[in-house]
Amino acid sequence: MTVSMNDRPLLEVRNLAVGYEARGTWPFGTRTVKAVEGVSFDIRPGETLGLVGESGSGKSTTGRAILRLLPVLEGSIRFDGQDLSDWGKQTPLSYRKQVQAVFQDPSASLNPRQLVSHAIEMTLRRHGVTKRSELHERSLAAFEMVGLSGDHLGRFPNELSGGQQQRVAIARALVLEPRLVVCDEAVSALDLSTQSQIINLLSDLQQLTGVSYLFIAHDLGVVRHIAHRVGVMNHGSLVELAETEELFASPKNAYTQRLLDATPAAHPAGREERRAHRLASRTAPAA
Amino acid sequence: MSETFTSNFHSVEAAPPQRSTNLGRILARVRRQPATLISFGFIVLLAVVAVTAPWLAPLDPTASDFDSVLQPPSAEHLLGTDDLGRDQFSRLLFGTQIVLLVALGAVVVAAVLGVPLGLVFGFYGGWWDRIGMRFIDMAQALPGMLIGLTVITIFGRNIFILMIAIGLIFASAFARVTRATVLGERGKLYVEAAEVAGLRKPQIIFGQVFPNLIGPMITQAAVFLGSAIMIESAMSFLGIGLDSDTPSWGAMLSLAVEKQNVAPYLTWPPGIAIILTVLAFNVFGDGLNDALTGEKRRNAPRIRGGAPRAALSTAASRATQTADAATGATSQALVLEARDVTVALNRPSGEQVNLVSGVSVSVGKGEVVGLLGESGSGKSTFARAVLGMLPAGTWLADGTITLAGEEISHRSAKELRHIRGDRLGAVFQDPMSALSPVHTIGAQLIEPLRIHKGMSRPAARARAVELLERVGVKNAAGRLDDYPHQFSGGMAQRVAIAMALAAEPELLIADEATSALDVTTQSQVLDLILDLRDEFGMGVLMITHSLGVVAETCDRAAVMYRGRVVETAGVEKLFDNPEHPYTAALLAANPVNAVGQDRLATIDPELRAVIDASIDAQAKKEAVR
Amino acid sequence: MLKLILSRLALAVPQLLLLSFFVFLLTYLVPGSPAAAVLGAAATPESIARVEAQLGLDRPFFDRLVDYYVGAFQGDFGTSYVSARPVTELFAERLPATISLMAGGMVVTVIIGLGLGLIGGTKAGSLRDRIATGMSSFTMAVPEFWIGIVLVLVFAVQLRLVPVVSYVPIQVDPARWLQGIILPSIALGIAGAALIARQTRTAMAEAMAARYVDSLMAAGVSRRKVIFTYAFKNALVPVLSATGIVVSIMLGASFAIEKVFAFPGIGSLMLRSVTGKDFAVVQGGVLLIATMIILVNLILDISYGLINPKSRPQ
Repeated sequence: MTVSMNDRPLLEVRNLAVGYEARGTWPFGTRTVKAVEGVSFDIRPGETLGLVGESGSGKSTTGRAILRLLPVLEGSIRFDGQDLSDWGKQTPLSYRKQVQAVFQDPSASLNPRQLVSHAIEMTLRRHGVTKRSELHERSLAAFEMVGLSGDHLGRFPNELSGGQQQRVAIARALVLEPRLVVCDEAVSALDLSTQSQIINLLSDLQQLTGVSYLFIAHDLGVVRHIAHRVGVMNHGSLVELAETEELFASPKNAYTQRLLDATPAAHPAGREERRAHRLASRTAPAA
Repeated sequence: MSETFTSNFHSVEAAPPQRSTNLGRILARVRRQPATLISFGFIVLLAVVAVTAPWLAPLDPTASDFDSVLQPPSAEHLLGTDDLGRDQFSRLLFGTQIVLLVALGAVVVAAVLGVPLGLVFGFYGGWWDRIGMRFIDMAQALPGMLIGLTVITIFGRNIFILMIAIGLIFASAFARVTRATVLGERGKLYVEAAEVAGLRKPQIIFGQVFPNLIGPMITQAAVFLGSAIMIESAMSFLGIGLDSDTPSWGAMLSLAVEKQNVAPYLTWPPGIAIILTVLAFNVFGDGLNDALTGEKRRNAPRIRGGAPRAALSTAASRATQTADAATGATSQALVLEARDVTVALNRPSGEQVNLVSGVSVSVGKGEVVGLLGESGSGKSTFARAVLGMLPAGTWLADGTITLAGEEISHRSAKELRHIRGDRLGAVFQDPMSALSPVHTIGAQLIEPLRIHKGMSRPAARARAVELLERVGVKNAAGRLDDYPHQFSGGMAQRVAIAMALAAEPELLIADEATSALDVTTQSQVLDLILDLRDEFGMGVLMITHSLGVVAETCDRAAVMYRGRVVETAGVEKLFDNPEHPYTAALLAANPVNAVGQDRLATIDPELRAVIDASIDAQAKKEAVR
Repeated sequence: MLKLILSRLALAVPQLLLLSFFVFLLTYLVPGSPAAAVLGAAATPESIARVEAQLGLDRPFFDRLVDYYVGAFQGDFGTSYVSARPVTELFAERLPATISLMAGGMVVTVIIGLGLGLIGGTKAGSLRDRIATGMSSFTMAVPEFWIGIVLVLVFAVQLRLVPVVSYVPIQVDPARWLQGIILPSIALGIAGAALIARQTRTAMAEAMAARYVDSLMAAGVSRRKVIFTYAFKNALVPVLSATGIVVSIMLGASFAIEKVFAFPGIGSLMLRSVTGKDFAVVQGGVLLIATMIILVNLILDISYGLINPKSRPQ
């Protein structure tokens, strides 16, 4: 994985605020709730940016804004130099082709009543592939790329295991050869042994195609493994952004420190000290 | 609940290779529902009767015959005659036409009006939805009869007006169902995935969402057909349906009321005809719904055979000899000693599967023992076996469970109840659903205190406050009368822990107790459990899928795979020097252990084969023994 | 709690205003003049014009609308075209009979509905569940007025157990009042029971599968107490929200029941007025029934708020 520091960023997020409409009090009126505010970061070509945080931190909201599933309230998102807000409510097909997504729950992200091949072919057809033979060829190629066979194409989602379903979702995301894939908790629902396979697959595909990932996850271990840089979100803001090893070795932000302290270690050694340390840090600020 | 267990068990195996079309699968499911088939057959029969009534009916249904007025059933008039001497059997046959025609027309009207409205409300939302739904609510709150009556008042009586009148009654219901289905589908991830793929809105609506609407709509239509028949009959009965000359079942009943004293035989045929017809449509609608949604909880197997009991006594004697070797437990005071626990499940096909096979785990006083496994490994089923709360359809087929030296695996429900909560506490995964949402936490917290400690209500409340304070709930006295939704997930889990520990049990079973929590909350709750262990000295069985939780909290751990314990060891040894290839593979797959490496170790097919072979060998050894 | 009641009341007012407007429009939508209907075959253009003037039907739309609202606020809903008696009086006469019937029907509905629902829902998937579900499906398919006919046939005509008395006001003779409403109540109760049974069964089965049942059982609470104290109260939440529809269904069904038992309630008055084109009475009846429904829903909303803490305004 080579990430050149000199490359122009693929994605530039500046001072982003995203919100959603919440129902106001009884039965009329809405108010806007900002779920994310003042978030800025870049993603370079071929880079994986990890975004970690606890539930409600705004990490998924940020990803959904980049996917244009949620409107931007303030600030800007630029992809390849192009400000997304210029498009208004429309999203050009060229952007859709270049920015794809893999979601958390693999069974829900596939239409239960359609063959999995349909998910891929539908995407291809929308992006100008019309010839039957080419559709099949490219679907097959995408499936083989993610370690599935042509046999899997003719199945329904519930005839595949969780890991296989997630492979289909990845194939669907990558069949258009995108430049950025937003992975929103893409491995969180998987068992450890399946999770490691999908993580390896994502790394391999990055090597092969040079795609960038925005890797959103709550599991710091996974992010530490896959991300080049990591951003930490808390209560809708990005509290720290650093090179992965730097962040894990010497976190600057107090919340990052707390998050790292709370993360269970990989080995029992030293756990009594860790527990004592947590106890001390927990009682200290409260007193 | 048993379905989660079976499906998890399935996921360990490879996905079934068969493939078929969606429609084919639905038809196959329908074929397995005799009630649906019979009702469908009856509906077809009705349709045939309606079409062929002119040929089937022995007499003209409207022809009066004043020579044979109010004749009881005879060979000439199978069901007798009415006050104008009209043949009841012929009228009954012709009545099928009216009933089906009006009901079908009404449902078409309802669908034509309701479905588009529901689609608009569901897709566009906002003000359209809010105002529209207010109207729908209002319309639906009014008695259908009132709406029908009003329409008839305005437009008079004929068959089309009747269709519209009844159709209007169901239009609002159709709109509501459509909207609910659209909203449900629209929130699904695959719709977002289609949007991210760049699909146009109409493509998403018609290509993705619409096909998923058809099933629920057809089901609704079938159920509404039944209701429409009821309303049509009621309106004809009241004399606001079609004119009394037209043969309709409702009007026939109207006559039956008038002539009740002289011609009771008029009551039965139309009534039974209505019941059977409505029943057929309702059963067909329900069956179709089941077939479309796939699995149905209703048919969960529920067989508690006599065989398991017989197996137990031999198992108990055998267990004593082998357990110590298997668990590797020290001879210190054991709080929990489970030996050769086997939990069996009967599949609907009749085949018996073991969800848990010969599991032996022990927990010493003050000891934290992990039970580590991936989904479907049987770890939660084992926990339920210990609690005596196995889901329906599963049973303890073999093994013994001893709590502080006392056998508890053969106890009656009543005896177990006095053990659970008193000597055995449990905390489950999702804290927000672990407490009843419509009861205050105080009411739930004092339950174990009242039951096991025999405390009076005020004393139990006072103790509950202490307990809440102990688990770290601030302003405990003030929060006792709060409801669960007023707590955060972490706080709710603390309350659940307080409830489990209220009677100071000897063993706490924590079944994925922190899996649904954020990491900072998780570490607080884990620390709390450890603190409480230090204070009360109870043993803890920590059931988890997380290597980190085991590393941070457990003294010993057992690793489960495919319903078996593959390895039990002290936690240091387990992490440093795993014996079983599966344990080693799990550790290697943990990304935290692979910092600086490009690739993670995985369980590839070859390794999987090695692991499975070792499991099978273990099973064979047990079988021989 | 007060806030909840006030907000629900505030919602009821525009609903009633809107509804009464639609009801008022009713006379405009009807083809032909009601006067013609009142006069019947003997109508001449002159006599129609005279009766229209008498009934005030010749005045402009807006004037009549204002009159209608002003009258309605004073409790005056016009005069019957046919009997020339105030509509309010006609309904006041018949309301006690309808309320007696509805109350009796509700008791039967709750007993049968909750009973069947609890039998099935507490042990979902069992044989007894399938029997209970089958029974509720059956009651759903049986027309309630047919049950009424059969009840009369069996108990009154054949067995002569119950005299075929019709309704006697409670203040006249409570014993005969009760005798008079037993059979109609059973028939009417069947109409609502199936829906309550289905809701209860589903809600109860769901409650029994919930995690808190596990927690409580694990805490040693008896199964009986878990079912009847904890799961049941949770199950009541969805059951209560279905009750509004059940009341509405039963009100509709009461029309036919009244016919079977010759019951002097609102239904028979409404039917007579519809066939007799007595629109003033139909208007009043629609409004009265709608008001009753809104009132019932108001009460249900409030009890819903009492049971479900999440729906209470914080």
